[in-house]
Amino acid sequence: MELLNSIFIKPFQDMVAAPDFLLQVLWEGLVAGVLYALIALGFVLIYKSSRIFNFAQGIMVVFAALTLVGLHEKGIPALLAVPLTLVVMLILAIAIERVVLRPLVNQPDIILFMATIGITLFLVGFGELIFGGENKVMITEQLGIPTGSFTFEPFGGFVSIEQKDLTAVIGAVVLVAALLVFLNKSKMGRAIRALGDDHQAALSVGISLSTIWILVWFIAGIIALATGIVWGARAGVSFALEVIAYKALPVLMLGGLESVLGAIIGGLAIGILEKLFEIYWGQPLMGGNTETWFAFVFALIVLLFRPQGLFGEKIIERV
Amino acid sequence: MRRLMKTALLATAIATSAAFAGSAYAEDSVLLPNLSYRTGPFAATGTPLMNGQRDYMTMLNERDGGVNGVILNYQECETGYNTEKGVECYEKTKAEGAVVTQPWSTGITLQVLPKSNVDSMPILAPGYGFSAMQDGKIFKWAFNPPASYWDGASMILQNISGGNLDSLKGKKIALLHLDHPFGKEPIPLLETLAKKHGFTLLPIPVGLKEMQNQSAQWLQIRRERPDFVVMWGWGAMNAGAITEAVKTKYPMNQFVGIWWSGLDADLKLVGDAGKGYRTLSWSFPNNEAKVMKDIKQLVVDPGKSMLNTSTGEFDWVFYQRGVLISAMLAEGVKEAQKHFNTKVVDREQLRWGLENLDFSEAKIKELGLDGMIPPFKTTCANHTGHSGAWMLEWDGTKFVKASDVLQADRAEIDPLVAEKAKEYADANQPWPTNEECKL
Repeated sequence: MELLNSIFIKPFQDMVAAPDFLLQVLWEGLVAGVLYALIALGFVLIYKSSRIFNFAQGIMVVFAALTLVGLHEKGIPALLAVPLTLVVMLILAIAIERVVLRPLVNQPDIILFMATIGITLFLVGFGELIFGGENKVMITEQLGIPTGSFTFEPFGGFVSIEQKDLTAVIGAVVLVAALLVFLNKSKMGRAIRALGDDHQAALSVGISLSTIWILVWFIAGIIALATGIVWGARAGVSFALEVIAYKALPVLMLGGLESVLGAIIGGLAIGILEKLFEIYWGQPLMGGNTETWFAFVFALIVLLFRPQGLFGEKIIERV
Repeated sequence: MRRLMKTALLATAIATSAAFAGSAYAEDSVLLPNLSYRTGPFAATGTPLMNGQRDYMTMLNERDGGVNGVILNYQECETGYNTEKGVECYEKTKAEGAVVTQPWSTGITLQVLPKSNVDSMPILAPGYGFSAMQDGKIFKWAFNPPASYWDGASMILQNISGGNLDSLKGKKIALLHLDHPFGKEPIPLLETLAKKHGFTLLPIPVGLKEMQNQSAQWLQIRRERPDFVVMWGWGAMNAGAITEAVKTKYPMNQFVGIWWSGLDADLKLVGDAGKGYRTLSWSFPNNEAKVMKDIKQLVVDPGKSMLNTSTGEFDWVFYQRGVLISAMLAEGVKEAQKHFNTKVVDREQLRWGLENLDFSEAKIKELGLDGMIPPFKTTCANHTGHSGAWMLEWDGTKFVKASDVLQADRAEIDPLVAEKAKEYADANQPWPTNEECKL
């Protein structure tokens, strides 16, 4: 009886008893969700246009953030270091297309997936060779990102909102909006979607595979840089950032590998739900640390009812 | 054809000279590998430690030609702090003739612990590993000088309680720990002490994937309002926790970390906001010590070091702790050479050397390590040595000493060591013990 009470009644009583704390939990979940959504977007874009599950997305976040900080350490002003980092990410995209992807055209998906694991290992070694393995400080203030916090006192309690978290949320919204406009309204964006829908048909109307691949890997690089800045501002820039890419996996399971909307909604849903579960159920009942598995279990439950994910495409193949 | 002959001759000459050079080198050197982690999520913690270890060995080779004419062949095998890779490195270096293993992770230590008995391989795990390794009669091959995690937990509690653990009655102490064998290591002792002295222990685990995003853990801390947060963090977890503590506005003077949670770079992330954060440490950096001057002159300045000079790593607690760790190993080699009247020591001889380390005040001075480590002494029965430790405090730019040398409460720890060591031996039968030790 006590167990049922602690599962079905007490968590909600706690929420009502301390609504300011609930608001703080929701905000923290939202911020985490935005970041998960950003990483998941990187995966979705590449998968949509090339059917490649890009295992290297996590290390791209690290590489982009380290390049930015590294360039600034060399004396380049922060606001100039950002476009220069984007140039590096463009060069990386071109190199990946030329050296890795182009020779593997028409190979099975699993070969391309393995190739992205190779890219990951290469970037880990290359990054460490150039930047070293130590933790670096993200150049948050130099980039003009505010570092203070707003404190509100709703319901007699307090809610603290870090300005850099708020900037991250606004930045992510702008980035996603720009991306959606690009994908839906521009010629290149439509070409990416066409390639995702039907490779052969897209190629037959003159869409260049290599150009699109460079473009999507570059966009994934932009997203990686944004993620790296935001996440690096929270806990420094180190190779540990790579593991956050794994947080995107349940988001992809939930949202579907091909849906931009799915990545966004999946990311937000997982960010908020895993935080709520951890605080109100995980910590009191299971000793905490449920965030490591909650998202996967939640995604698996959703898959039981919708095997293609919330926004994935239901593919019916006639044989 | 002539070119082919020439190439074949050259290759043969290189191979032959390499073989001869190898054997000549092997006679005058001793292989001391380090299962390092300069890559992966824990690289930030590992790199300065490994740099310090490497530089001390290089300095001895440069300055003294090794130890008594024997070159210290320091080699690293990269594990990325991954237990499986660590075991592979152990096997690889063993096959290459290593006389010691330095596993650098409690997880790897626990994996190689049973193997060390079979392979007669000394394990040197300074300040980490399984605390019960203190019992040298049961863990004949394992060493964790100069202090164990249980020593650390006891000293932290003594410091925060003002020397009287009963004053913690009714208080709540959160243990923010990595969800890994390392992070769980102090829990048995803390649970025992919580029961005895009437405080509440609240373990808060941090998963490996959550190290960078600890908002849930710090929301829990905000809700539970513990009187103290004790951190058992490693790698990126420390930086994540310290930034979240600042964000949560948790009082820094109530936040204390074990010795692996005191990396200068982590605190530099928050700068002044981290003022008052304390970390227990059995080492303290002293650039004026003779050893550090020699390292600077013979290793760093000539560009033979891997350390990052731009970050001021040379002054860091962790870099200089790495130096001390290699000093312990080199002293083990020296003691063994003296006792067995030999030059190139084998594993059994080094094991003897490590259980006869005597870092007395005089020896510390003689080695040029003044003020860097409190005295300690290992014996065949006590593989830890119990140096005690200082509490260091972050002053906004660096760590400064905030206490005299603290000592662990042996009366609380020793019975637990005996119990857990016996439990381990019983669970891993047949487990050979050191019958020769009469202490």
